[in-house]
Amino acid sequence: MAIHTQVWRAVYGKSADAIEKSVENVDESIRAIICIPRLFPFTFGHVDGLPLSNNVSPTTVANTASLLRIVAFGLISAAAIASRLFAVINFESIIHEFDPWFNYRATRVLAAKGFYEFWNWFDPTAWYPLGRVVGGTVYPGLMATSGVIYNFLHYFNLPVDIRNICVLLAPGFSALTAWATYMFTTEMKDSSAGLLAAAFIGIVPGYISRSVAGSYDNEAIAIFLLMITFYLWIAALKQGSALYGTLAAVFYFYMVAAWGGYAFITNMIPVHALVLLLMGRFSGRLYVAYCSWYAIGTLSSMQVPFVGFQPVRTSEHMGALGVFGLLQIVAFASLVRSHLSSKQFQDLLTVSVISMGLLGAGAFIVMTYKGWIAPWTGRFYSLWDTGYAKKYIPIIASVSEHQPTAWPSFFMDLQFLIFLFPAGVVLCFRDLRDEHVFVIIYAVVASYFAGVMVRLMLTLTPVVCVSAAVALSTLLDIYVDVAEPAVPENENSSANGTGAATADAKKAKKNAAVGSQAGPNAAAAASSTLSDIVNAAKSSSKSSPSKQKGIWGADARLVIILNAIGMLVYFVFHCTWVTANAYSSPSVVLASSNPDGSQHLIDDYREAYYWLRMNTPQDAVVMSWWDYGYQIAGMADRGTLVDNNTWNNTHIATVGKAMSSPEEIAYPILRQHDVDYVLVIFGGLLGYSGDDINKFLWMVRIAQGVWPDEIQEPNYFTPTGEYRVDERASDAMKNSLMYKMSYYRFAELYGNGNAIDRVRNQNIPKIGPTLDYVEEAFTSENWIVRIFKVRKEDPLGRDLKSANAFAQGKKRKRSKPVSRRRAVV
Amino acid sequence: MLRLWNAISCLLLASALPALSAQTQSFENSAIVRTIELGGSLVHVTTTFAVKALKADASVYTITIPAEEIYITNWLEVKVKGNQEPLTVTYSGSAGKAHNLDVSLEKPLEVGETINLVLETVQTHATWPWPPQAAQKEEQALKYQTPLFVLSPYITNVQRTKLKASSPRIISHTTPENVDDFTLENPVTKSGATVTYGPYNNVPVSANQEFIEKYQQSVQLHYSHDYTVLEVLKLRRSAEISHWGANLNIQDDIILHNAGPELKGQFSRLDYQTQLFYGSSVHHFLTSFTVQLPGGIRNTYYYDQIGNVSTSRLRTAPSPARGQKNAQSSVLELWPRYPIMGGWNYTYTLGWDAPLADSASYDASTGKYIVSVPVMTEIPGSVVNDAELTIILPEGATDVEYVGPFPAHSDELSTHVTYLDTVGRPSITFKYKNLTNKHVKPIYVSYKVPLTAHLRKPMAVATVLLSLFTFAMIARRVDLTIHKKTTKDV
Repeated sequence: MAIHTQVWRAVYGKSADAIEKSVENVDESIRAIICIPRLFPFTFGHVDGLPLSNNVSPTTVANTASLLRIVAFGLISAAAIASRLFAVINFESIIHEFDPWFNYRATRVLAAKGFYEFWNWFDPTAWYPLGRVVGGTVYPGLMATSGVIYNFLHYFNLPVDIRNICVLLAPGFSALTAWATYMFTTEMKDSSAGLLAAAFIGIVPGYISRSVAGSYDNEAIAIFLLMITFYLWIAALKQGSALYGTLAAVFYFYMVAAWGGYAFITNMIPVHALVLLLMGRFSGRLYVAYCSWYAIGTLSSMQVPFVGFQPVRTSEHMGALGVFGLLQIVAFASLVRSHLSSKQFQDLLTVSVISMGLLGAGAFIVMTYKGWIAPWTGRFYSLWDTGYAKKYIPIIASVSEHQPTAWPSFFMDLQFLIFLFPAGVVLCFRDLRDEHVFVIIYAVVASYFAGVMVRLMLTLTPVVCVSAAVALSTLLDIYVDVAEPAVPENENSSANGTGAATADAKKAKKNAAVGSQAGPNAAAAASSTLSDIVNAAKSSSKSSPSKQKGIWGADARLVIILNAIGMLVYFVFHCTWVTANAYSSPSVVLASSNPDGSQHLIDDYREAYYWLRMNTPQDAVVMSWWDYGYQIAGMADRGTLVDNNTWNNTHIATVGKAMSSPEEIAYPILRQHDVDYVLVIFGGLLGYSGDDINKFLWMVRIAQGVWPDEIQEPNYFTPTGEYRVDERASDAMKNSLMYKMSYYRFAELYGNGNAIDRVRNQNIPKIGPTLDYVEEAFTSENWIVRIFKVRKEDPLGRDLKSANAFAQGKKRKRSKPVSRRRAVV
Repeated sequence: MLRLWNAISCLLLASALPALSAQTQSFENSAIVRTIELGGSLVHVTTTFAVKALKADASVYTITIPAEEIYITNWLEVKVKGNQEPLTVTYSGSAGKAHNLDVSLEKPLEVGETINLVLETVQTHATWPWPPQAAQKEEQALKYQTPLFVLSPYITNVQRTKLKASSPRIISHTTPENVDDFTLENPVTKSGATVTYGPYNNVPVSANQEFIEKYQQSVQLHYSHDYTVLEVLKLRRSAEISHWGANLNIQDDIILHNAGPELKGQFSRLDYQTQLFYGSSVHHFLTSFTVQLPGGIRNTYYYDQIGNVSTSRLRTAPSPARGQKNAQSSVLELWPRYPIMGGWNYTYTLGWDAPLADSASYDASTGKYIVSVPVMTEIPGSVVNDAELTIILPEGATDVEYVGPFPAHSDELSTHVTYLDTVGRPSITFKYKNLTNKHVKPIYVSYKVPLTAHLRKPMAVATVLLSLFTFAMIARRVDLTIHKKTTKDV
């Protein structure tokens, strides 16, 4: 039985070696979210007064619109949550992938033992024998959030399992993200654009990819925090409100506690402030908003142990500090200006700006040079030079998430939003208020980063949704508006594209009759409206009101509106399809189908992990490639040498060396590290492509980085430069521990037939590798997980190879005595 | 000594009769036939006593169980042959290495009257694997040891002991010595899967030190066993009764252990797949097993510590009709995540919802509900070493009374707080040891639930929500602005 011939369809997109490099850490109290009425969206906002009836009082209209918004928002939240539940419905309520298993494990500790135990948690099983101080090396925001929810529910005697909280946290927060995006976009345009943006962010695959149920990772809450912080920053800036600035700081702190990507906010807000400054838009509002955000945000972020003094010591944070200083200078300068004559001020300004600039730059260089400010990290360099990691830090490059983004993934993740996105950005130039500047900067920066690294697509997604919503809502505003443009004699009423709304009811009625004749003009009118938008954007609308523009007739509107609706409908289908097929696989459980079409689950990972958990000593140490470290710790509850928190390159290289060396060389390494079991992933039987043989070259490369004399990548290729596992494989390949363990007794499975590795489509030699220093301990049903036990030293002191040969009754080959006579040269 | 008392208290049915001292020689055994059905964890022993009364008014018959068996005997029942009703049995102390049980007959026997008594016992942990380790391809063999003679305080005309193994492959058996006094023929015969000791004639009163020292001896059987030797190390069952949902939820947390010979060397998947493919004769690993669940169950779940186990099949039967005796049961075929080889462990959780009406009834005259909850669900051929059963009654239940089919090691009332409870639910916890398939019997619990208790939960939820809304209503109307000015619309 059990030899499943159905070829398992590897679902790409979320590749097997996804990791979160960043070690996260903790900070405790999630500050209670202060609930103030202003944050509640539904009671505010103006209503576009459609001339429906004169009998309806404005209050009724406002209330109705507010109710509609609440209903719409409820539906958006429901859609956002529901579309993320594919994984739970198709599979089960399970934690996905790799990093989430660590977060889940940490959350369990937090829920079971309380916050202080978690804070001081030293995990001796990870990075054996080094251990890991978990409390100080994680971003604790995620775990703390789940812990708070858990305790809250249990306080009310709602015995919800911590696993279910973890699984459903991301969908829950996606509804909050939709709300935050709504608030943010409302600041940009109006609440109808806000609702569109909320709907987009709710279902867009670029965000769903990191927030399906079970994807219990930092990004699950981080995007919400990102958007709410940006919204609060914009609100603070608009009003010059210290309260909003403080709130922004509080959420910034939450963000710092939750995700390493907080550096994005740390740099976005200062860049925005700097650009405003350079545009000559310095104001008291900017000063108050920025200073309150920076001072409180920085101080509180330093309370997170994992961040510590980084905000004043590393280069990534220097921009924010610099802008903070600059604002003080500018504020002082404007104070001075109000007391001095302009001539004196000019002189003073020139001198002081030059000297201060030189001084600041000099100080920065000196401090970096002296080591007071840490230089940029490798991961940061790889943002500017995509080849950097490959050259110097293979461990970063080996993570598929850190690869540059391929073009198709933009369309897969954002679909039609990606081409509305530039339109929305262009529209931002029309008003170019302070907040629009923010969106423009955000768009430029995030676009760049998304192109550099796949995983940063996530930060691009919100701004794409916002600006696409602005663009689409502008379009709809123009075309849905039932009011016809005024007849030529009424010139001022509707000059530019958006303003068509102002005609009053009487005129609309009158024009309705005219509309039918105006059919032929509609197409021309539509295109001229679009060009008008662009013109308006280019030349900040000083157009001569010579020619009347607008849309006459229902057919013209219908063409555009139906088109837009069509795009939206396709978008929904696309999102559903992508979510269901690409992003909802837990990757712990694989799905295939039986011949009769029913679903067949391939559960090899859990089978093997559970076997480890149940039938090996509690203190056993398992060596595997680092991808599986968190899963082994989470599901098998056993010690690991390396895991997805890849902080110690040497340790990983040691494992890489053990895997890529012959048995005799690997054995001392295994024994020195007290390894009891070695676990490899082998997909050759099923055709599961994310297996260790395919990752093997990274192990070799990483090992080569530390031991360039012993491990050399070219040795693992055939002389013709091919990567082969069949008869023609190189000797180094065939002798490596990884190869031997993967193919141990594999050919025997096929009896007399050809043993085919279905991943690499190569024939495996009949005579398979033999193992002397490790023995097969467990192989899962479909051979995906193979576990080998490391033998203890031979009690008689022989080396295991000869002990084995003796046990099998083989005669020891007498080595030829060295010839006495030297050959004459 | 404590262990003995535990064993004894576990054995005995509650008795209303005072222990009567055995009247020696009021009976004689015309024949004793002991049949031992050898299994893995469980060994079923049926002993038939053909009894003849020697005195008038003989009403108490004494059965003797040897010391080496009293600890492993975990279930015991005495019936008159052909009758369904078990007789009352009382422990009446030990004489040396023999423990006496007094059986009260339903009516006293006249002189010369005969009766056939059937003693059924189940022994647990009575066999042990030998050799203690077996490689994956080797067969599993067990050993069983028992005293040769059935002891009795009466004279026995003839007695024999039959040992039935599950397969005819009997590797060895002991030939008893020093039995010439009782038989002239071969003291032991083997035919097929059965080994018979005896017949031994004219055995004197044997429940005394003298006989034991002179004649009693152990016989051992070494036999191949074709089934997995399973032990449930720990069973935690919780049964939660909900009147609002008309639901009885039962959940079992089980630690399963293969107590057969330990796996020698390592597990090879290739060999295992070959063995399955060719239908090999090796049986000491468990690939799947079947349990019978009640009919009419819903929402059955089977998971372990790391999630759902997707490899099980369930065939549900409909709920039994009211009053119907032999209801169909649902059949659940469970596949553990991995084959359980010798010495391996596996844990899982199995639970289901059943309609409350199937196991509860309402007694209008007393106003009480009576619910029956089975002590355990049988896993075929396994013994439950430790069991803990918690029955959680509805919140606010009063007048809780319960009666078990056999005494528990301990039972206590406590409070269990769960889903939206305010005062918590009364719960009863029973603890048992060494349960066998004979212990699959219901516990009956009766309780009252007043109407106010039924309404407690909706009231509590309504109160909380109402106060929340009230708070929100007030909070919306309080103006905390320090600085009164016209707010700028944003």
